[in-house]
Amino acid sequence: MKSKLIWSLLLVLCFGVIQAQELDEIISKHIEARGGAENWAKVNNMKITGRFTAFSVEEDWMAIKTNKGQYYSELHLGKHAVIEAFDGEHGWTIDPWHEISFPRILSKDEDNVFQQKSSLMTPFLDYKEKGLVAKLIGKQDLEGVEVYTIKLTRPSGKYETWYIDANTYLEYRRDSYWVDFTYPTPAESYFEDFREINGLVIPYYEEKMFSQRNRVLLIEDILFNIELDEELFEMAKSSEMEALSFMKGSWDVEVQGWSGRANKWYPMDATTSTIKYAANNMLEEKIRYKTDFVMPIVSQYSYHAGSGKYRVCVYNDFSGETEMFIGQISDSTFTADNTKMIYGGMQDPQAFGKVTITPEDSDHFNVLIENSFDKGENWNPGNKLIYTRKSN
Amino acid sequence: MNKYFTRLSILWLLMIGLVSLGIAQEESANKWTQFRGEDRSGKSMESLDGVDWSTSKPELVWKHELGSGFAELTMMGNRMYTMTSQTIDSTTGSEFLAAYEVETGKELWRQKVDSIYFDPDGWGDGSRTTPSIDDEHIYCLSGHGKLSAHHLKDGAIIWQIDLKAKYGSAEPRWGFSTSPIILEGLLIMEVGGAENKAFVAFDKENGEIVWNYGKGNASFNSPLLTTIDEQLQIIFANGKTLYSFNPKGDTLWTYAMPFGGITAMPLLIKNNKIFLSGIRNPGFVIVEINDHKATEFIRGTSMKTDFNTAVYHDGYIYGFHVASLRCISAETGEAKWTKRGFGKGSLMIVDDQLLVLSDKGKLIIVEAKPDAYVEKTSVQALEGKSWTAPSFVNGKVYVRNLTHMACYKIK
Repeated sequence: MKSKLIWSLLLVLCFGVIQAQELDEIISKHIEARGGAENWAKVNNMKITGRFTAFSVEEDWMAIKTNKGQYYSELHLGKHAVIEAFDGEHGWTIDPWHEISFPRILSKDEDNVFQQKSSLMTPFLDYKEKGLVAKLIGKQDLEGVEVYTIKLTRPSGKYETWYIDANTYLEYRRDSYWVDFTYPTPAESYFEDFREINGLVIPYYEEKMFSQRNRVLLIEDILFNIELDEELFEMAKSSEMEALSFMKGSWDVEVQGWSGRANKWYPMDATTSTIKYAANNMLEEKIRYKTDFVMPIVSQYSYHAGSGKYRVCVYNDFSGETEMFIGQISDSTFTADNTKMIYGGMQDPQAFGKVTITPEDSDHFNVLIENSFDKGENWNPGNKLIYTRKSN
Repeated sequence: MNKYFTRLSILWLLMIGLVSLGIAQEESANKWTQFRGEDRSGKSMESLDGVDWSTSKPELVWKHELGSGFAELTMMGNRMYTMTSQTIDSTTGSEFLAAYEVETGKELWRQKVDSIYFDPDGWGDGSRTTPSIDDEHIYCLSGHGKLSAHHLKDGAIIWQIDLKAKYGSAEPRWGFSTSPIILEGLLIMEVGGAENKAFVAFDKENGEIVWNYGKGNASFNSPLLTTIDEQLQIIFANGKTLYSFNPKGDTLWTYAMPFGGITAMPLLIKNNKIFLSGIRNPGFVIVEINDHKATEFIRGTSMKTDFNTAVYHDGYIYGFHVASLRCISAETGEAKWTKRGFGKGSLMIVDDQLLVLSDKGKLIIVEAKPDAYVEKTSVQALEGKSWTAPSFVNGKVYVRNLTHMACYKIK
């Protein structure tokens, strides 16, 4: 009985070893069929251009992939232009199909899609080093093609099934999870029209079906190792916040006060300010300057797409008060005031304020602060802040 | 003498029979009078015997520009009818019913039926339904839900009903898409109206309601008219229910489908079975009708059709499984072969040949046989998105898309 058990264990162990050897051999032949690891090691990035079909309409398409797993693509999905990017771990997209015009962060299910999209070759290149686990399921006839079936599990736990042509060792099909309107859905991807370029073998045709969707990628041209700006993969700002990006940086600030008696501006203080994106679509300024007292101010600028208005949240650490302003850009000038703000069903009884920001050039802009005691009928000058970009 | 007269009578009867058969074939061959042909099966009864596929390719007869729309090209005699549209700007335009010469594709008349339906997602503007023709009249439905009857000779409107205004029909997400059935004096269709007017039979002479039944919005598919158990039945797939009515509007049977919202229409297979397929799981179900009872025969995942209906031939179903042309067994659901590369195309069958139109306008002729995918010939018939199934009359195939229509000679 005991010897039977030992023999059984040995058999299972041997089978496992044989299967692992067979898997290594298949993957090795697959990499070789795709041009070999040495050739792929020379590829830092690829810029692919071609045609993309969605909803039965073919349009131009471009994608950039890097050996760091980064991905950037511009495509047309039916009537909408879509941008998608992935930094190797996380991604973002501008996809008007979601009725959102601004960039949004991808979900984990979407990140899984971009893990698949971003592979330079297939994920089998250096898969062990990248923490992926492959398991040979067996050999089968799939739609008339003899294939090796390999289950590939990513570090995230998401898995996909690859069908490698047993004769050519090129990928024939991949079953994985894709997303349809952010929801995960099973997908079948087919790879065809393998062509050799720079010693690499690449499928120039990829067709995918998921849910009721059908997508076809046709490669027309590939450029290797192009010069790349890493900012390409960083999440884009909304176009509205991009319009305020001139404020980003470190500044010397001259603070002026208004003399009603003399009817002119006079210098009050000289200080510094730092303005940076505290979140993807929120600019934050920290500044302290002296009027009568020292005013430490934190201002946050954001855009509310629903109302089509900017919002400025100003915290005064001298008084401990927060004020909200609503604004817009007109003729390059940003204005915001708090005359429309209602707090707890009531309008704040304090005096109203208005801020006007006027860019002069890339190194200068001015901020005018005014106040009103008649709900914005008349505005009185308060302070003027003149920003000059720090030279370093 | 008696023997002589008996023989003469038999000969006479045979001759009448042959002539009648000839007339019937001629009539059938000259017509494509409604959505998916004479019995809504997507099948032409013409023969393609004698075509040498090794040497012959579909030969272009004519090609013309055509306004946007998804209506099939319907034909009777020497005239062809369809729905077209014309945009004025991005928010205005018109939908038309139009007639053309079959031989040349030359326009004979056009009649405005409604303002144009603009697709909210950009799939394609204009009417989504195919007109139905009887001996003197033609009936059509606009994308916004105006149902109208017209004279065949000049398109003059006999009557018109605004389904939304008159019956409270909700406009479906992608427009009214059901193609009406003509049955004797009736025009039968989904209306999706309030007050029990989901399904309505109109008096085709005046547009008055003859019978109505059911609640629910209009679906995107079209009803089937067929005979099962020697009973003429009108079969609707609406929501998650399959309904059967006799021509008087009595409910014969209903069946709870395992999925809802299918876009492809019910397909009759093997005299008393109905194939229903949609994109959601399980994908398809075949229902068997016996003694006015519907029971599930089989279900499976091997065929998930989206908006274009499959065809049935000799025990097998041919259709688009998502975006793959596929043949499955009507007995077991087993996939016999699959061919990708045609996108979300459409198809019809003539003799034992499938006429497949890819979603980018390539016309491919494929053997309707389960053994293997065998392509006979192909031609790039149209350019651009092509979602409307071909029609076939007198050895010629008629195709259209959102910008053009064309006629190709097959035999």
